[in-house]
Amino acid sequence: MKLKIGIVLLYCMTFLPLQTIFAQNKIEFREYDLPNGLHVILHQDKSTPIVAVTMTYHVGSKNEDPKRTGFAHFFEHLMFEGSEHIGRGEFDIIAMNAGAQLNANTSFDRTFYYLLLPSNQIELGLWMESERMVHLKIDSIGVETQRSVVKEERKQSYENQPYGTLMEKIFSNAYSVHPYRWTPIGSAESINNATLGEFMEFHSIYYVPNNATLSIAGDIDYDQTLALVKKYFSGIPKGTKEIKRPDIVEPRLPAEIRDTVFDNIQLPMVAQAYHIPALGTKDHYAISMLTTLLSDGESSRFNKAIVDKQQKALFVGAYPMALEDPGLFLAFGITNIGVEPKDLENAIDAEIDRVQKELLSDREFEKLRNQVEVSFITQNSTMAGIAESLSDYHIYYEDANLINTELQRYLSVTKEDIQRVANDYLTKDNRVVLYYLPKQSM
Amino acid sequence: MKKHIVTTLFFIITVLPAIIYAQAQTVEKADSKDLDRSVRPKPGPAPVINIGNYESFTLDNGLKVYIVENHKIPRVAYSLSFDYTPVIEGELAGLGSLTGQMLRTGTKNLSKDQLDEEIDFIGASLYTSSSGIYASGLKKHNEKLLELMSDILLNPSFNAEELEKIRTRTLSALETEKTEPDAISRKVGQKLVYGENHPYGESVSEKSVKGITIEACKDFYSNYFQPQVSYLAVVGDITLEEARVLVGKYFSAWTKTSVPTSEFSFPARPSGNVIAIVDRPEAVQTNLSVSYPVDLKPGTQDAIKASVTNTILGGGTFRLFNNLREDKGYTYGAYSRLTADRYVGIFRANTEIRNSVTDSAVREILFEMKRLREEPVPSDELSLVKNYIAGNFALSLENPQTIANFAINTAKYNLPDDYYTNYLKNLALVSNEDVGTIAAKYVLPENNYILAVGNAAEIGPRLQTLSKNPIRYFDFEGNEYDPSKKLKPAPAGITAEGINEAYIESIGGEKALSKVKDVTINATTNMQGMTIGFDIFRKAPNKYIMKLGAGDMVFQQVIFNGSEAIVKSPMGGGDQKIEGEELENLKYESILNPELIYDEIGVKLHLDGIETIDGVDAYKITLTKPNGKTAVRYFDVATNLLLKESTDQGFIEYGDYRIVDKIKFPYKIKQSIGPQLVELNVLTIKINSGLKDEKFSIN
Repeated sequence: MKLKIGIVLLYCMTFLPLQTIFAQNKIEFREYDLPNGLHVILHQDKSTPIVAVTMTYHVGSKNEDPKRTGFAHFFEHLMFEGSEHIGRGEFDIIAMNAGAQLNANTSFDRTFYYLLLPSNQIELGLWMESERMVHLKIDSIGVETQRSVVKEERKQSYENQPYGTLMEKIFSNAYSVHPYRWTPIGSAESINNATLGEFMEFHSIYYVPNNATLSIAGDIDYDQTLALVKKYFSGIPKGTKEIKRPDIVEPRLPAEIRDTVFDNIQLPMVAQAYHIPALGTKDHYAISMLTTLLSDGESSRFNKAIVDKQQKALFVGAYPMALEDPGLFLAFGITNIGVEPKDLENAIDAEIDRVQKELLSDREFEKLRNQVEVSFITQNSTMAGIAESLSDYHIYYEDANLINTELQRYLSVTKEDIQRVANDYLTKDNRVVLYYLPKQSM
Repeated sequence: MKKHIVTTLFFIITVLPAIIYAQAQTVEKADSKDLDRSVRPKPGPAPVINIGNYESFTLDNGLKVYIVENHKIPRVAYSLSFDYTPVIEGELAGLGSLTGQMLRTGTKNLSKDQLDEEIDFIGASLYTSSSGIYASGLKKHNEKLLELMSDILLNPSFNAEELEKIRTRTLSALETEKTEPDAISRKVGQKLVYGENHPYGESVSEKSVKGITIEACKDFYSNYFQPQVSYLAVVGDITLEEARVLVGKYFSAWTKTSVPTSEFSFPARPSGNVIAIVDRPEAVQTNLSVSYPVDLKPGTQDAIKASVTNTILGGGTFRLFNNLREDKGYTYGAYSRLTADRYVGIFRANTEIRNSVTDSAVREILFEMKRLREEPVPSDELSLVKNYIAGNFALSLENPQTIANFAINTAKYNLPDDYYTNYLKNLALVSNEDVGTIAAKYVLPENNYILAVGNAAEIGPRLQTLSKNPIRYFDFEGNEYDPSKKLKPAPAGITAEGINEAYIESIGGEKALSKVKDVTINATTNMQGMTIGFDIFRKAPNKYIMKLGAGDMVFQQVIFNGSEAIVKSPMGGGDQKIEGEELENLKYESILNPELIYDEIGVKLHLDGIETIDGVDAYKITLTKPNGKTAVRYFDVATNLLLKESTDQGFIEYGDYRIVDKIKFPYKIKQSIGPQLVELNVLTIKINSGLKDEKFSIN
């Protein structure tokens, strides 16, 4: 029997950008900007006759109207409804007939679409992706059907799962003004209220070439591919409406926030969330290393002390939710039977306290750097992954070449940096603490 | 006091979209002038699908080794799989699993602390289970990794203290599984399909995990984790020569003795459909599966055809998905599997749907299974599915592990050497007739275990409509129980009539209620982004109007004058008389306070017991009307207020009771209407405003 906690987390993480990705072997790529603002990234790898065609729109739940939370994700569903030349329900069929796989996901910051095709079908992939940018077609049947589908998705992934509301509760407690205060799945009420007209408006603002990155990786020819990209995308006019990007700065928490959620669960969960700087800042890298120190591998601080030695938890983890705007560092655990949540929280606090007070040893620091190196090397193993990383680096850092060089930023983090960020950010007055308790204990 | 919004709402939901959004909208953006977008691009020349090479050899101890070189990334991965015959563990269910986990907890040379440190120091991954060991790491740490893996395999310490830690965590994990719908469905489903005397039907329980000893783990290890039944795949940045030397060095000392084999009989399929429920009163969605065992073995003539046949049904975004999600909006996804296995294969369709469509979802799944058997598959659909499977096959080759898996499957299942090189060719040969034959043999709509993990109070009556046989109830470990005993009995002395009287008292008392001559209610709900208003007028004894509209527009109006009823639809559809069963329903629902006159109108009450509704204890009372129809009402044990009512039409929940002229009314009402859940917010309620009889005229 395998522990199922991984699954719980997976539900929480579905909408988050992939963790930063590195590579040791240099990844060659070429970049272009079309006159209409579409950014294009191409990477050639001829080892398998496949190609990943990915389109990222720089719009996520943080661009939403607070009265329409979940809108960006709902919209993602509608992008499969069809276009002027692709009938309702045909989008999937055309892809599958070409032997392709396709899907999409929506995060706080962006919406990502991918088609993974046999390489001789690249033109088809570009045509499909351009069709839904140039003239997406939505009707009331499609909207009503997807409204029901999204509500069931919400239940399946969140409401009907133990601890399923964790992310919602954390973000709504941690943020008071910034749009990160709701999560990409949004509220059921908003899903009920969204109208067809609003979807059309949303498409005209955000689904425009100047807000999109087309990233392609696989068995391609650079010149031919660029010519095809131009053929299908150069005629699409630049968007004329203002792209709304929130410039809201979340103020510091006035004090520690503590809350209790009574859920359909058997064992209590303790979750802490600390405010941290945005993706790509210097401290972001140190916080990432700190996370590895605390929770990657069985010898990591949390696992060794809390799960193995003290046996207070079935599971303990840490996860940096580094986002485009300042995000959260999460530490959370599920108690073993008979352990009080306060006991588990004290154990987590004790490990954080240790990092704050004691500089880590040279040996442990070397282990950390080795672990970072491995994740760097192994995460760039698929075409879809490379295409997504290239566009994420472009969108969030305006430097796609970080796919080759970002490791240096991690390796320049010092032991002192790790101790310092633990002291700067993992403080009580900078955090939200949630207890999930079984309903029957109410 | 309650309100009804029954048949009328259904019209709104089905008719409204057509009124409001008559045509589709298209976002037009000027296009490149010379490009004809209506032309769908043709594929380029088909690329050659090259499966890739592997090398293999066998050590003297019988370990079969497969090497796939791939130098893209400086990493090597080792997967060792123990392929012993599945074991019946009986009272020690979970023994193999715990033994597998024990491997990772220390060797005769390294304590668990040291092992954890060594593995993490080189940034490696290393997992152990009852079916094998997986390890991967950077090329530069390759030998260190093999040293650790071999030590774990050959010299486990089986430390009693570590077993206790695993036991504690397993018990905690079992606790969390009680609230995970998927875990419950898997566990109970496998017990139903394979039976508890089959290795596939067993699962670890609190009782079994407490009985497992270190000695039992040691025996399991020495009996089953043996080289002559194992396969090692080496994939990554390594050459055949390097692999030969290293594997020989680190795995030759693994010795073999004979491996016990066990025998088990093929599980019987049910003679008719069995409907089973695992009750999760808190569930907001039903986890539904339809499954049965099949005799389908990997690599046989039938296997590829079966894969095509199942894919048409639900092996991706196909028939089940299109029907239940894209057509009906019941679910986020609906899929099926038809899995070949050397011992027992399985068919399993599954989906998660809202409670109110649980029975409809079962009907649609069975309908699609029957359709696949009875109607020839259209050629374009067959070729779509074959193209999709071929594409997946080609895309899967990106991962070098696939090539190793192909090689190991070929050996394990005694497949012809060219099974995978001919796979695409054989796939292309699958015909419409083949699909018909395979569907008739393996797709069995009448021999299923239909398992619903969900809120039994809501879904039980719905599912019961599917079968004459009583629904069977199971707890989360798959033990069957009698649901009539599941309800907590109400305390002695409490009667259905007494609860009804307490309810009347709690909302204001008989005296106050009997003074009510008419009631006017204004409420709203949101639908398709618009606010819809409800005006409800009731007059004693049984006159009734419900008017739906937005602003000054009236969409629909239902009028009942005490004996006849009509629906008026000013937006189109004209006037229609309500007759038959709907009229009968309306007659009952129009009674101002039926609770006061149950005797007079012939409604019988029965107290079933106490059930938990959303964490609140509630008396469950079944009402039987003169026409034999039943309804179930739930009253809060603490406040006596009505919380919920369910009928064969769906359910209604009441909340936010407020006092209007000494009488309590619910201000929040949630009602399921077909597949929809409508939330009504009451704005105002007026009592005795002097409604005239003329207002209720149907002419």
